[in-house]
Amino acid sequence: MRIKILRQQSPSTEPYWETFRVDDIPKDMTVAGLLEHINYNDDIADENGRKTTRIGWECSCLQGSCGACAMVINDIPALACETFIRDIKKDVITIRPLRKFPVVHDLMVDRSGIYENLKKMNMYIGEYHPAKEKDPEKKQKAHDLQYDIAKCLKCGLCLEVCPNYVNGSSFFGAVFANDCYLVSSRNDSKEKAVLKTYDKHFASTCSKSFSCMDVCPVKIRTITAMAEMNRK
Amino acid sequence: MKSAVVIGAGISGMSCAIDLARAGVRVMLISPFSSERSQSVMAAGGINAVLPGAENENGDSVASHMEDTIKGGSYLGGKKAVKGLCENAGEIIRYLEGIGTVFSLDGEGKPDKRAFGGQSYKRTFYCGASTGKQIVTAMIMEVRRYEATGLIDHRLWMYFHSALIEDSVCHGVLLFNEITGKLEAVLSDAVVMATGGQNRLFGKTTGSTQCDGYAVSKLFTQGAELKNLEFIQYHPTSIETTQKKMLISEAVRGEGGRLFYEENGKRVYFMEDKYGPRGNLMTRDVVSREMDAAKRDIFLDISFLGKEEIERRIPEVRDLCLKYRGLDISRESIPVSPAVHFFMGGLAVHLNHETCIRNLFAVGECASMYHGANRLGGNSLLAAVYSGKVAAKEIAERKSENKTMDYSTVLERESRKLDELRNNKSSFPVAYMRDMIANTMNEKLGIVRNKESLEKGIEDMDYYLSAAEKISYDKSVLMYENYSITGLIILAKAIIISANERKESRGSHFRSDYPETDENSAYATIISYDEGRYKLRQDREHFYED
Repeated sequence: MRIKILRQQSPSTEPYWETFRVDDIPKDMTVAGLLEHINYNDDIADENGRKTTRIGWECSCLQGSCGACAMVINDIPALACETFIRDIKKDVITIRPLRKFPVVHDLMVDRSGIYENLKKMNMYIGEYHPAKEKDPEKKQKAHDLQYDIAKCLKCGLCLEVCPNYVNGSSFFGAVFANDCYLVSSRNDSKEKAVLKTYDKHFASTCSKSFSCMDVCPVKIRTITAMAEMNRK
Repeated sequence: MKSAVVIGAGISGMSCAIDLARAGVRVMLISPFSSERSQSVMAAGGINAVLPGAENENGDSVASHMEDTIKGGSYLGGKKAVKGLCENAGEIIRYLEGIGTVFSLDGEGKPDKRAFGGQSYKRTFYCGASTGKQIVTAMIMEVRRYEATGLIDHRLWMYFHSALIEDSVCHGVLLFNEITGKLEAVLSDAVVMATGGQNRLFGKTTGSTQCDGYAVSKLFTQGAELKNLEFIQYHPTSIETTQKKMLISEAVRGEGGRLFYEENGKRVYFMEDKYGPRGNLMTRDVVSREMDAAKRDIFLDISFLGKEEIERRIPEVRDLCLKYRGLDISRESIPVSPAVHFFMGGLAVHLNHETCIRNLFAVGECASMYHGANRLGGNSLLAAVYSGKVAAKEIAERKSENKTMDYSTVLERESRKLDELRNNKSSFPVAYMRDMIANTMNEKLGIVRNKESLEKGIEDMDYYLSAAEKISYDKSVLMYENYSITGLIILAKAIIISANERKESRGSHFRSDYPETDENSAYATIISYDEGRYKLRQDREHFYED
């Protein structure tokens, strides 16, 4: 199998494509395992036998719980540790870094912009103080949604695929919208302030393609969070 | 004190940083990546506590939690420390609830509890099967609250290099900035290490690839003492995949999961046969050893719970098995094996979490304090939050030192060493060395150890140390990977020396040549480093605790 990777040595250098060849890849191997396999050699060579450097990529948990290894695999934003070779129907795997964030090295990107926006908008719960809800069914549903949203990996995949998100300067994307729901539902005293920023930096621009939901590794129901925010 | 640097932004580091900021101390929080990438997010099961006012509810009590913790740790955990941990556990649940952690709730809307291994009562609070992740999310928000006020400055892409120590007093740290490629010195009144365990020494474990033990090792060579390194917990239930060993949460056994192997076409529930109906929930060391001794493929069955209950109680476990092994746990049993999971040993700390170096603190898994020879499930998240709070209280209440340190010579010297490393043209790659360390650690320091294998392990490490000076600089991996390698070997050697020294079996440390627990060996192993020499002493007087 051929693996084509968009590489970049440092933030200030030009990106370039490099192709590797790996045969007999086990079908239950993931792209993360494949990258590790390529890197685990004394001498790394491209498909033409030219010596090259190890591929830079970020990982931590290697089981879809931390979001470190987010990248674009065959044009689909995904976590490398959860993308299986068995599901890739092509002869070539094309891998490139997320393009909505500055590249640090090869497939490693700097996602600090996500945090900067959340920080600027004071997106924190403060004190747990939910609005009173008597209906046990509604209460359970709200709890389940909050639980799901609190699993957000801040991996950036939802922003990569979003047609409205450019660089986070004014539209902050699904990652932000979901946290808006989490914060305002866990502390109702922040509801008013959160709604204002939610409208300004999300609702007014979102074109509702919901592609963010297709790529979310933890399957956050952004559409439900949005419906709840609209109801507030 | 007025300022602190906290190294590590998992739960223990954030817990400390938040309480410091609450007390008005300025905090620089250091981690190469964001808290979402920390190993804390992988803690699945839960957090133990007896709530205030709930004493004797169903017969449970703080005293019982203490007793279980000390017994689980084979009587090596400090009594005073464990008392503080268990007495404050209830308040910690309240605190976590107060900052917005999404706990699983019982029928009355209160945080729910589940049964966990090695415990006399059901006292493990949980958030589905992602307790650590839910706590991390709540804490990140709390850190953000203080970032907004300027009291916390969270710096990413920064790695710990070394501490700035003069006359056994810590004055700050040297950090390596991966973006600028330069060392930076930061002076502060206190330094708190929250760097987690030493997983990477063993290659593929249940933990994060980011936790490698380098920081602990560097401080060891700078004068900090290490404690009880020989106690390494194997989690009995991991599932093998091509990229790592993935943890099957203890929650599965908490929910009734049964371990078995097959013999003559029949299932043998070996844990229940030997230890009775609660056999599957014996402490992790006992279960791991029984599995190892069975010398057969072991399976964990939870299918009887049914699809709906599995979906409700352990959906993450169901997803993980399906995704990585194509296994439907509502129909099939899970093939499981023990895997390195937690390090009870680490930096030796006093009750206030200060190391033997003044103003240098350690919290969470990188510190050795509460778990003795083995840790109870549900006590690691508790200790992570609690230890961070203890260190923060001490730092906030302490007066700043008048003296500071001129670090210019040290900064220049260490920068020069990194330049020399960059220019090293040897052909021995750093990645290779990491794998060699892992091979030795897994082969020579497994669930069952003996003198012969341990001594061979020490020999191997000596060889790696001699080769480490000749490694090639690999510019395609982070600089940290290059400069940390010698530290990892030094730590690995210290662990094996500690394991060789303890001539008995206790908790997670089992020796085939000394299979019994020796009543006279209820001491802590303390190891220190002096210019290449490793010095061991047996602490029977609870020096650190008192």
